[in-house]
Amino acid sequence: MSLLECVDLHVWFDLPHGGRVHAVNGVGFALDPGERFGLVGESGCGKSTTILALMGLLPSSATVSGRVLLNGADILAGGEDSVRRHRWRDIAMVFQGAMNALNPVKTVGWQIAEPMAYHGTARGARARARVGELLELVGIPASAADRYPHEFSGGMRQRLSIAMALACEPKILLADEPTTALDVMVQAQILELLTRLTGELGMALVLVTHDLPVVSQVCDRAAVMYAGEKVEDGPAERLGLAARHPYTRLLFAATPDLYGEERLATIPGSPPRLDAEITGCPFRPRCDVPTDRCADEHPALRPAGPGHQAACFRNEPQEPM
Amino acid sequence: MSVHIGEAAPAAVAGRRPAGLFRTVTRERRGAAVGLGILAVFVVLSVFAPYLAPYSTTDGTCAVYAPPSPRHWLGCDDGGVDMLSLLMRGGQTSLVVGFTATLVSILIGGAVGLASGYFGGWTDVALMRVTDCLLVLPDLVLAMVIAAVWGPSLFHVILVIGLLEWTATARIVRAEVMSLRERAYVKRARGLGAGDARVIVRHVLPHVGPLLIANTVLTVSAAIYMETALAFLGLEDPGVTTWGTILQHAFARTAISSNAWWAIVPDGFVIAAVSVGCFLLGQAIEDALNPRLKVAHLSARRWRLRTLAGKGADAR
Amino acid sequence: MRSLEYAVRRGIFTVVTVFLAVTLNFFLFRALPGSAVSNLARVPDSSPELQHALTVRFGLDRSEWDQYVLYLKNLLHGDLGVSFTYQRPVSHLLLSDLQNTVLLAGAGTLGAIALGVLSGVVAAWRRSSALDHLNTSLAILTYSFPAQWLGLVLLIVFAGVLPAGGMSDQFLFQSPPFWRHAADVAAHMALPAATLILTAYGGYTLVVRSSMLETLGQDYVLTARAKGLPDRRIVWRHAARNAMLPMVTMVALDLGFVVGGAVLVEVIFSWPGIGMATYTALSQRDYPMVQGCLLILTVSVILLNFLADLLCFRLDRRVTA
Repeated sequence: MSLLECVDLHVWFDLPHGGRVHAVNGVGFALDPGERFGLVGESGCGKSTTILALMGLLPSSATVSGRVLLNGADILAGGEDSVRRHRWRDIAMVFQGAMNALNPVKTVGWQIAEPMAYHGTARGARARARVGELLELVGIPASAADRYPHEFSGGMRQRLSIAMALACEPKILLADEPTTALDVMVQAQILELLTRLTGELGMALVLVTHDLPVVSQVCDRAAVMYAGEKVEDGPAERLGLAARHPYTRLLFAATPDLYGEERLATIPGSPPRLDAEITGCPFRPRCDVPTDRCADEHPALRPAGPGHQAACFRNEPQEPM
Repeated sequence: MSVHIGEAAPAAVAGRRPAGLFRTVTRERRGAAVGLGILAVFVVLSVFAPYLAPYSTTDGTCAVYAPPSPRHWLGCDDGGVDMLSLLMRGGQTSLVVGFTATLVSILIGGAVGLASGYFGGWTDVALMRVTDCLLVLPDLVLAMVIAAVWGPSLFHVILVIGLLEWTATARIVRAEVMSLRERAYVKRARGLGAGDARVIVRHVLPHVGPLLIANTVLTVSAAIYMETALAFLGLEDPGVTTWGTILQHAFARTAISSNAWWAIVPDGFVIAAVSVGCFLLGQAIEDALNPRLKVAHLSARRWRLRTLAGKGADAR
Repeated sequence: MRSLEYAVRRGIFTVVTVFLAVTLNFFLFRALPGSAVSNLARVPDSSPELQHALTVRFGLDRSEWDQYVLYLKNLLHGDLGVSFTYQRPVSHLLLSDLQNTVLLAGAGTLGAIALGVLSGVVAAWRRSSALDHLNTSLAILTYSFPAQWLGLVLLIVFAGVLPAGGMSDQFLFQSPPFWRHAADVAAHMALPAATLILTAYGGYTLVVRSSMLETLGQDYVLTARAKGLPDRRIVWRHAARNAMLPMVTMVALDLGFVVGGAVLVEVIFSWPGIGMATYTALSQRDYPMVQGCLLILTVSVILLNFLADLLCFRLDRRVTA
C-alpha cells in the first residue's frame, strides 16, 4: 500500500458569471514513504491546484471529486473537520511565496511552534526547544526565533517555511514552487536542503515546479501535467532522457541550461482554455509531431517502459518518437 | 469541504480574472447610475421647489404637529407648515450650500495641491505641514467657533465649510500632480522652455480636472453634513430653511415630547440619500479615472472620510 | 533604535501641531474681525473694575505681539483665563467637563470599535452571505445619517425607557452608594453613547471588512489553514490582527469627527461635557470659555493622534515612515 495515493482527482472552479473551469482532469499518482516525486508543468496546468486539493485547501468556488488516500484511508471524505487533523501532522506544505507565507506580525518562533501545540506534538519549553532544533536544522541560528519575518531575506524566509513545515514531523512534504521567487544561487541551496532533509528524516516529498531539470536532479519520479491532465509520468531521469510525450520533450528543451550554450527553444502557442470540453488531444495545437488521430481522439495513458507511461498516440512500441 | 476562508486563487484557473474585473466594472456603472439618479432627483426637486411644493413654506396650512395624512403626506411642523414643502425648500438651500462650499474648498485645495505637487521642495513641505495640521484638528468644533465669532449667516457658513474641507482635495491633487510632473511630456514641455504657468495650464490642469470633479461630488455631501451640524447648533441664519434648520427647529420646539417623528425622520433620510448618491457617483468617477486606486480598503476609508468628515483620502 | 527615531519624529510633529493650534486659537479670538476676548464691551454685566482687571490680565492695552507672548506664558501656567459668565477660572470649570466628555466619547469610541470590528470580521468571514449583505448595508446606512438625527431618533424610540438628558438623576444627588451612582450614570449615558456608536461603527465595519477580505486572501492565511488550525483561530489570531492596521489609522483620523459628534450628542442629551460647555459658552458669548474649550479639544485630538501613531508603529513593525 502506498503512503499517499491520489485517485482520479478532478477539480472544477465555478466562474463568477456561470460556467466552470475543469482545472484538474482525472489526475492520479501514488507516493511511497521517503520517495521524492515531482509534479511539472507550465503555470495554469493545474499542478498547484492538485496539491492544494490533496490537503482540502481549495476555495469554496472549487468542486472536488476523486479520492485522496493516506495509508489507505480517504482523508477528504469526512469534510473539513476530518482533513484538518491530517494537515501539518501528516502532510505539511512549503508555499511558493516565501515573502508572504509567514505572518508579518508574529515572531517566527511563535509561528513554528503554533501547530505543535495545536496538534499536541509539543508545548511549552519542549516546543521552544524543538523550534530551536528545527531552525538549526535548516541552517538558521536558534536565537532567531524571536525575530519577525521581515528581518529575514527571501532565501532565509524559505528556510523558515521549511522549518515550520517540519514542526510536526510530517510524513509528506508538499513543496509548491519553493524556489520560484529566489535567485539562482539561493534556489540551489534550498533544493539541496529539501533533498537532504527528506533523506535524513525519511519524509516523502512532492515537488511542484515548472523546471524539469530541477526535477531530474531532486526527484526519483515525476509526472508532467498539461491542461489539467497528467500526460506522462515515470522515473525522473527517463523523463529527461527518454520522454515519450512531445510536451515533456519540448518542456525540457525550453528550460534554460545554466551551463550550456544551447539555444533556448520555446513551445509556440498557449495552453487551451479549460472552460469548455476539449476534443482530441489537448496538446495537438502546439504539438510538433501531431498524428491524424489527435484531432478527434483523446489519447489515454499507456505504458512506455518500466514504471513509465505517457498519453500520446506516438507512444507505441513500434513507433519510435 | 464546508467552510472556506480566503481565496487561494490558484494560478490554474484561466479566465477568472477578466471575468472578475468585468463584474467590478458593471457593478460600479450601476452604482454610478444609481448615484447620478439620486442626485438628479434632488437637484430637480430643489430647482423647481417653488413650483412643486404643494403648500406654502412660511404659513401654516394645517394643525400644529399634524400627523401625516393624505393631504399632508409628511405631516406638519410646530407652525402647521407642511413638512414635504419644507423639505423641498430646505433641500434647495442645503444643496446650494453644499455646492458653493465645495467650490470654495476645491479652489483652495486645488491651488494648494497644485502648488505643493508642482513646485515641491519647501513649498511642498510648508503647505503639507499646514494641511496635516488642519487634518487632525476637529473641524466641526473649529467651524462652530469661527461661525459663532463671525455671526450667523448663510454666507459665513458656506465660507467656514469651504475653508475647512479642502484638505482631502489638496492631498489628492498633490499626489496626482507629482506623478504628472514626472511624465515624459511634462518634462519635455519644461525642457523646451515652457514657463510654469504654461505647463500648469496646458499639461497639468487638464489631467487634474476629472479628478477634481470626482472630488467635488464627494465633498458636496461632507459640506451638506457640516451645514446640518452647524445649523443644528444654532449657527445658521435663522431666516433660512435648510435640512439642518428643520432638525434644529424640531429639536428646539418640542417635536420629541409631542412625539412628532414626522418632523424629524424624513429629514435624516433625504440627507442620507444625498450622501449615498454623492458617494456612489464620486467613487465611480474616481475608479474610472484611476483603476490603480481600486483597492477595497482605500475606498471604504475614503467613503467615510469624504462623506462625513471630508478628510484625507490617503491616510497611508 | 528605529522605533525611538520614529517616536521622536512624530513627537516633534505633534509639538509643532500643538503650537500651531495654540497660535490659531489666539488669533481666532484676537485678530478676527467682529469680536474677541478683547472686546470688553461685550462682557456681560461687566463693571469698570472687572474690565480693568481683564485688561491688565490679558495685556489688552499693549501690542498684539505682547498679548500673544502673555497668552503663551499664561497657558504654560495652565491659565486659560476667567469665564465671563461664572467669574471663575476656565481651567477649573472645564476640568469636570473634560472628564465627562472623555467618559462619553471613550465609551462611544470603544463601543464603535468593538461593534465595528465584530461586524466587519463576521461580514468578511461570511462574505457574500445574507448576513454580510445585511451587515454592510446597515453599516452604510447608519453612517450616512447625521449624528444629531440619530440622536433625535433614539430619543423618540426610547422616550420614557431611558433617561433623555443629563448625567445623573437629581433625586440621587445626596451621595448615593458608588454602584448606584455608577448604574445611574450608565443609564444616562446609554442613549448618547449609543448615538456615538451608531455614527461611528459603520465606517469601522467597512474598513475592517475590506481589510479583512484582503488579509484573508494572503498567503499566510493559507499557511494557517494548511497547518490545520480551526477557522476561529485563523480569523482572530492570524487575520484580524493584520486587518486592524487600517482600522487604527482610521480611528485616529476619525478622532476629530468623534469630537464633533460628541458636541452634537452632548447638546441633544444635555450631557455636561466640553461640547455642551462650548455650545453654552457660545450662546452666552463667554469667549474665554470658548477659547478654553477649543484649546482643550484640539490639543487632546492632536495628542490622541500621536498615541495612535505610536500604536500603529507598535502593531506593524514594518512601518518606517
